[in-house]
Amino acid sequence: MYKASLRRTALVALSGVWSSLALAHFPFVECHQGTVDIVCQGGFSDGSSAQGITVDLISYDEEIIASKTFNDASSVEFAPYDGEFYILLDAGPGHTVEVDWNEIKAP
Amino acid sequence: MSNATTKKGRKTDSRWFRWRFHLSGLLMLIPLVLAPFYIELMSVFGGASGLGARHIGTQAAGPWQITLAEQFEQAPKLDGPAGYMKTFNAALCQTCAEQVKAVYLRLGKPRSLRTAGVIGFGSPYHMSFSMPVPENTALDAELWLTLEGWDGSLQQVQWPLRQASPATIEFLQQQQEL
Repeated sequence: MYKASLRRTALVALSGVWSSLALAHFPFVECHQGTVDIVCQGGFSDGSSAQGITVDLISYDEEIIASKTFNDASSVEFAPYDGEFYILLDAGPGHTVEVDWNEIKAP
Repeated sequence: MSNATTKKGRKTDSRWFRWRFHLSGLLMLIPLVLAPFYIELMSVFGGASGLGARHIGTQAAGPWQITLAEQFEQAPKLDGPAGYMKTFNAALCQTCAEQVKAVYLRLGKPRSLRTAGVIGFGSPYHMSFSMPVPENTALDAELWLTLEGWDGSLQQVQWPLRQASPATIEFLQQQQEL
Protein backbone atom coordinates (compact mmCIF):
# COMPACT_ATOMS: atom_id res chain seq x y z
CA MET A 1 0.00 0.00 0.00
CA TYR A 2 2.76 2.41 1.08
CA LYS A 3 4.94 1.34 -1.84
CA ALA A 4 2.09 1.88 -4.33
CA SER A 5 1.43 5.33 -2.90
CA LEU A 6 5.14 6.25 -3.07
CA ARG A 7 5.34 4.97 -6.66
CA ARG A 8 2.31 7.02 -7.72
CA THR A 9 3.62 10.17 -6.04
CA ALA A 10 7.04 9.85 -7.64
CA LEU A 11 5.56 9.19 -11.11
CA VAL A 12 3.19 12.14 -10.84
CA ALA A 13 6.00 14.43 -9.67
CA LEU A 14 8.38 13.32 -12.43
CA SER A 15 5.69 13.45 -15.12
CA GLY A 16 4.83 16.96 -13.96
CA VAL A 17 8.41 18.04 -14.51
CA TRP A 18 8.76 16.40 -17.91
CA SER A 19 5.32 17.25 -19.23
CA SER A 20 5.79 20.91 -18.31
CA LEU A 21 8.98 20.87 -20.38
CA ALA A 22 7.19 19.21 -23.27
CA LEU A 23 4.29 21.66 -23.15
CA ALA A 24 6.44 24.69 -22.81
CA HIS A 25 4.96 26.75 -25.59
CA PHE A 26 1.29 26.21 -26.26
CA PRO A 27 -0.38 29.22 -27.91
CA PHE A 28 -3.23 31.13 -26.29
CA VAL A 29 -5.37 34.12 -27.20
CA GLU A 30 -7.80 36.16 -25.10
CA CYS A 31 -10.17 38.70 -26.58
CA HIS A 32 -12.27 41.45 -25.06
CA GLN A 33 -14.52 44.12 -26.43
CA GLY A 34 -12.69 47.45 -26.46
CA THR A 35 -14.36 50.83 -26.76
CA VAL A 36 -15.11 50.11 -30.40
CA ASP A 37 -12.86 47.33 -31.64
CA ILE A 38 -12.33 43.79 -30.47
CA VAL A 39 -8.91 43.60 -28.80
CA CYS A 40 -7.05 40.28 -28.63
CA GLN A 41 -3.91 39.47 -26.70
CA GLY A 42 -1.95 36.45 -27.84
CA GLY A 43 1.12 34.61 -26.72
CA PHE A 44 2.60 31.32 -25.69
CA SER A 45 2.41 29.57 -22.37
CA ASP A 46 6.17 29.92 -21.86
CA GLY A 47 5.73 33.70 -21.85
CA SER A 48 6.98 34.32 -25.38
CA SER A 49 5.30 36.85 -27.65
CA ALA A 50 2.99 36.12 -30.58
CA GLN A 51 4.36 39.08 -32.55
CA GLY A 52 4.08 38.48 -36.30
CA ILE A 53 1.78 35.47 -35.97
CA THR A 54 -1.33 35.39 -38.15
CA VAL A 55 -4.70 35.95 -36.53
CA ASP A 56 -7.89 35.86 -38.58
CA LEU A 57 -11.48 36.85 -37.97
CA ILE A 58 -13.54 34.19 -39.76
CA SER A 59 -17.31 34.02 -40.19
CA TYR A 60 -19.21 30.82 -39.43
CA ASP A 61 -19.49 30.16 -43.18
CA GLU A 62 -15.66 30.06 -43.30
CA GLU A 63 -15.16 33.41 -45.03
CA ILE A 64 -12.05 35.26 -43.79
CA ILE A 65 -13.38 38.70 -42.83
CA ALA A 66 -10.05 40.14 -41.65
CA SER A 67 -6.53 38.74 -41.57
CA LYS A 68 -3.93 40.43 -39.37
CA THR A 69 -0.77 39.70 -37.42
CA PHE A 70 -0.04 40.36 -33.76
CA ASN A 71 1.82 43.63 -33.22
CA ASP A 72 4.96 44.16 -31.15
CA ALA A 73 2.82 44.27 -28.01
CA SER A 74 1.48 40.81 -28.98
CA SER A 75 -2.02 42.21 -29.46
CA VAL A 76 -4.33 42.85 -32.39
CA GLU A 77 -7.56 44.79 -32.97
CA PHE A 78 -10.48 43.89 -35.18
CA ALA A 79 -13.32 46.11 -36.28
CA PRO A 80 -16.68 44.83 -34.99
CA TYR A 81 -18.34 42.26 -37.21
CA ASP A 82 -22.09 41.92 -37.35
CA GLY A 83 -22.70 38.19 -37.35
CA GLU A 84 -21.43 34.94 -35.90
CA PHE A 85 -17.67 34.52 -36.16
CA TYR A 86 -14.56 33.19 -34.49
CA ILE A 87 -11.03 34.52 -34.12
CA LEU A 88 -8.24 32.11 -35.00
CA LEU A 89 -4.61 32.38 -33.94
CA ASP A 90 -2.70 30.34 -36.51
CA ALA A 91 0.91 29.65 -35.58
CA GLY A 92 1.13 26.75 -38.06
CA PRO A 93 -0.53 23.36 -38.51
CA GLY A 94 -1.62 21.99 -35.15
CA HIS A 95 -0.75 25.25 -33.38
CA THR A 96 -4.05 27.07 -33.52
CA VAL A 97 -6.38 28.56 -30.94
CA GLU A 98 -9.96 29.67 -31.51
CA VAL A 99 -12.01 32.25 -29.67
CA ASP A 100 -15.70 32.11 -30.47
CA TRP A 101 -17.64 35.39 -30.73
CA ASN A 102 -19.59 34.54 -27.58
CA GLU A 103 -16.35 33.98 -25.63
CA ILE A 104 -15.22 37.59 -26.16
CA LYS A 105 -15.21 39.26 -22.78
CA ALA A 106 -17.39 42.29 -22.21
CA PRO A 107 -15.60 45.65 -21.67
CA MET B 1 52.95 24.55 12.87
CA SER B 2 50.48 26.70 11.07
CA ASN B 3 48.59 23.57 9.82
CA ALA B 4 48.21 22.29 13.30
CA THR B 5 46.77 25.61 14.40
CA THR B 6 44.26 25.60 11.53
CA LYS B 7 43.10 22.07 12.30
CA LYS B 8 42.62 22.97 15.91
CA GLY B 9 40.54 25.97 14.88
CA ARG B 10 38.08 23.75 12.91
CA LYS B 11 36.72 22.13 16.03
CA THR B 12 37.37 18.63 14.75
CA ASP B 13 35.74 17.20 17.83
CA SER B 14 32.35 18.48 16.66
CA ARG B 15 29.89 15.67 15.86
CA TRP B 16 28.53 17.66 12.90
CA PHE B 17 32.00 18.04 11.42
CA ARG B 18 32.65 14.33 11.65
CA TRP B 19 29.31 13.23 10.20
CA ARG B 20 28.67 15.80 7.49
CA PHE B 21 30.88 13.87 5.08
CA HIS B 22 28.78 10.76 5.60
CA LEU B 23 25.56 12.75 5.24
CA SER B 24 26.70 14.15 1.90
CA GLY B 25 27.37 10.58 0.85
CA LEU B 26 23.72 9.80 1.65
CA LEU B 27 22.63 12.38 -0.96
CA MET B 28 23.97 10.00 -3.58
CA LEU B 29 21.17 7.63 -2.60
CA ILE B 30 18.50 10.08 -3.89
CA PRO B 31 19.11 9.34 -7.59
CA LEU B 32 19.38 5.66 -6.77
CA VAL B 33 15.94 5.72 -5.13
CA LEU B 34 14.38 7.75 -7.97
CA ALA B 35 16.06 5.85 -10.83
CA PRO B 36 13.40 3.08 -11.09
CA PHE B 37 10.60 5.68 -11.29
CA TYR B 38 12.58 7.65 -13.87
CA ILE B 39 13.17 4.54 -15.97
CA GLU B 40 9.46 3.64 -15.73
CA LEU B 41 8.48 7.16 -16.79
CA MET B 42 10.89 7.12 -19.74
CA SER B 43 9.40 3.79 -20.85
CA VAL B 44 5.95 5.47 -20.91
CA PHE B 45 7.27 8.37 -23.02
CA GLY B 46 9.26 6.08 -25.30
CA GLY B 47 6.49 3.49 -25.70
CA ALA B 48 8.43 0.58 -24.18
CA SER B 49 5.60 -0.03 -21.70
CA GLY B 50 2.80 0.40 -24.26
CA LEU B 51 1.05 3.30 -25.90
CA GLY B 52 -0.04 4.85 -22.61
CA ALA B 53 -1.20 4.11 -19.10
CA ARG B 54 -4.77 3.42 -20.31
CA HIS B 55 -5.62 1.93 -23.68
CA ILE B 56 -8.81 3.51 -25.10
CA GLY B 57 -9.37 1.55 -28.27
CA THR B 58 -8.80 1.18 -32.00
CA GLN B 59 -11.00 2.55 -34.76
CA ALA B 60 -11.02 2.41 -38.52
CA ALA B 61 -10.64 5.81 -40.19
CA GLY B 62 -11.53 5.13 -43.80
CA PRO B 63 -8.76 2.87 -45.15
CA TRP B 64 -6.61 3.49 -42.05
CA GLN B 65 -6.67 2.36 -38.43
CA ILE B 66 -5.73 4.35 -35.36
CA THR B 67 -5.28 3.35 -31.72
CA LEU B 68 -5.67 5.85 -28.90
CA ALA B 69 -4.45 5.79 -25.30
CA GLU B 70 -4.29 8.12 -22.32
CA GLN B 71 -0.67 8.84 -21.47
CA PHE B 72 -1.52 8.92 -17.76
CA GLU B 73 -4.84 8.30 -16.02
CA GLN B 74 -4.80 11.81 -14.65
CA ALA B 75 -6.79 15.01 -14.82
CA PRO B 76 -5.58 17.72 -17.23
CA LYS B 77 -2.66 19.81 -15.98
CA LEU B 78 -2.60 23.60 -15.87
CA ASP B 79 -0.13 25.06 -18.40
CA GLY B 80 -0.05 28.74 -17.49
CA PRO B 81 -2.23 31.07 -19.56
CA ALA B 82 -2.88 28.34 -22.15
CA GLY B 83 -5.17 26.63 -19.63
CA TYR B 84 -5.54 22.96 -18.78
CA MET B 85 -3.84 20.42 -21.04
CA LYS B 86 -4.38 16.68 -21.36
CA THR B 87 -2.01 14.27 -23.11
CA PHE B 88 -3.13 11.40 -25.32
CA ASN B 89 -1.01 9.06 -27.42
CA ALA B 90 -1.96 7.45 -30.71
CA ALA B 91 -0.55 4.84 -33.08
CA LEU B 92 -1.23 4.28 -36.75
CA CYS B 93 -1.40 0.81 -38.25
CA GLN B 94 1.79 -0.48 -39.89
CA THR B 95 0.37 -0.44 -43.40
CA CYS B 96 -1.02 3.10 -43.12
CA ALA B 97 1.86 4.83 -41.31
CA GLU B 98 3.46 5.92 -44.57
CA GLN B 99 0.18 7.10 -46.09
CA VAL B 100 -0.80 9.49 -43.29
CA LYS B 101 0.84 12.90 -43.30
CA ALA B 102 -0.49 14.23 -40.00
CA VAL B 103 -3.00 13.47 -37.25
CA TYR B 104 -4.83 16.18 -35.32
CA LEU B 105 -6.83 15.94 -32.10
CA ARG B 106 -9.35 18.28 -30.52
CA LEU B 107 -12.48 18.38 -28.43
CA GLY B 108 -15.56 18.87 -30.60
CA LYS B 109 -16.00 18.78 -34.34
CA PRO B 110 -13.42 20.86 -36.26
CA ARG B 111 -14.75 23.65 -38.47
CA SER B 112 -11.94 23.13 -41.03
CA LEU B 113 -8.52 21.54 -41.41
CA ARG B 114 -6.99 24.73 -40.02
CA THR B 115 -8.94 24.20 -36.81
CA ALA B 116 -8.45 20.43 -36.65
CA GLY B 117 -6.71 20.75 -33.29
CA VAL B 118 -3.30 19.91 -31.93
CA ILE B 119 -0.93 17.95 -34.15
CA GLY B 120 0.53 14.60 -33.12
CA PHE B 121 4.29 14.62 -32.51
CA GLY B 122 6.62 11.66 -32.72
CA SER B 123 6.77 8.37 -34.55
CA PRO B 124 3.59 7.20 -36.37
CA TYR B 125 3.50 4.32 -33.88
CA HIS B 126 3.68 6.59 -30.84
CA MET B 127 2.34 10.07 -31.54
CA SER B 128 1.75 12.38 -28.63
CA PHE B 129 -0.96 15.06 -28.41
CA SER B 130 -1.18 17.74 -25.74
CA MET B 131 -4.72 18.96 -26.07
CA PRO B 132 -6.29 21.98 -24.36
CA VAL B 133 -9.33 21.18 -22.21
CA PRO B 134 -11.46 24.27 -21.51
CA GLU B 135 -13.00 24.16 -18.03
CA ASN B 136 -16.49 24.65 -19.49
CA THR B 137 -16.22 21.61 -21.79
CA ALA B 138 -19.52 19.73 -21.94
CA LEU B 139 -19.45 16.35 -20.21
CA ASP B 140 -20.83 14.71 -23.36
CA ALA B 141 -18.08 16.21 -25.57
CA GLU B 142 -16.29 14.04 -28.07
CA LEU B 143 -12.64 13.73 -29.05
CA TRP B 144 -12.23 14.23 -32.79
CA LEU B 145 -9.20 12.79 -34.54
CA THR B 146 -8.55 14.06 -38.06
CA LEU B 147 -6.16 12.06 -40.25
CA GLU B 148 -4.67 13.86 -43.24
CA GLY B 149 -3.20 11.69 -45.99
CA TRP B 150 -0.30 12.57 -48.25
CA ASP B 151 -2.83 12.42 -51.11
CA GLY B 152 -4.83 15.21 -49.43
CA SER B 153 -7.65 12.95 -48.24
CA LEU B 154 -9.13 13.46 -44.77
CA GLN B 155 -10.62 10.87 -42.43
CA GLN B 156 -12.16 11.50 -39.03
CA VAL B 157 -12.98 9.34 -36.02
CA GLN B 158 -14.51 10.25 -32.68
CA TRP B 159 -14.42 8.94 -29.13
CA PRO B 160 -16.73 10.16 -26.37
CA LEU B 161 -14.58 11.99 -23.82
CA ARG B 162 -16.31 9.95 -21.10
CA GLN B 163 -14.88 6.81 -22.67
CA ALA B 164 -11.52 8.32 -23.61
CA SER B 165 -10.69 9.82 -20.22
CA PRO B 166 -12.85 9.24 -17.14
CA ALA B 167 -10.24 11.21 -15.15
CA THR B 168 -10.90 14.27 -17.35
CA ILE B 169 -14.68 13.90 -16.89
CA GLU B 170 -14.19 13.77 -13.12
CA PHE B 171 -11.99 16.87 -13.33
CA LEU B 172 -14.61 18.74 -15.41
CA GLN B 173 -17.38 17.79 -12.98
CA GLN B 174 -15.32 19.22 -10.12
CA GLN B 175 -14.54 22.42 -12.06
CA GLN B 176 -18.15 22.96 -13.06
CA GLU B 177 -19.46 22.39 -9.53
CA LEU B 178 -17.33 25.25 -8.26
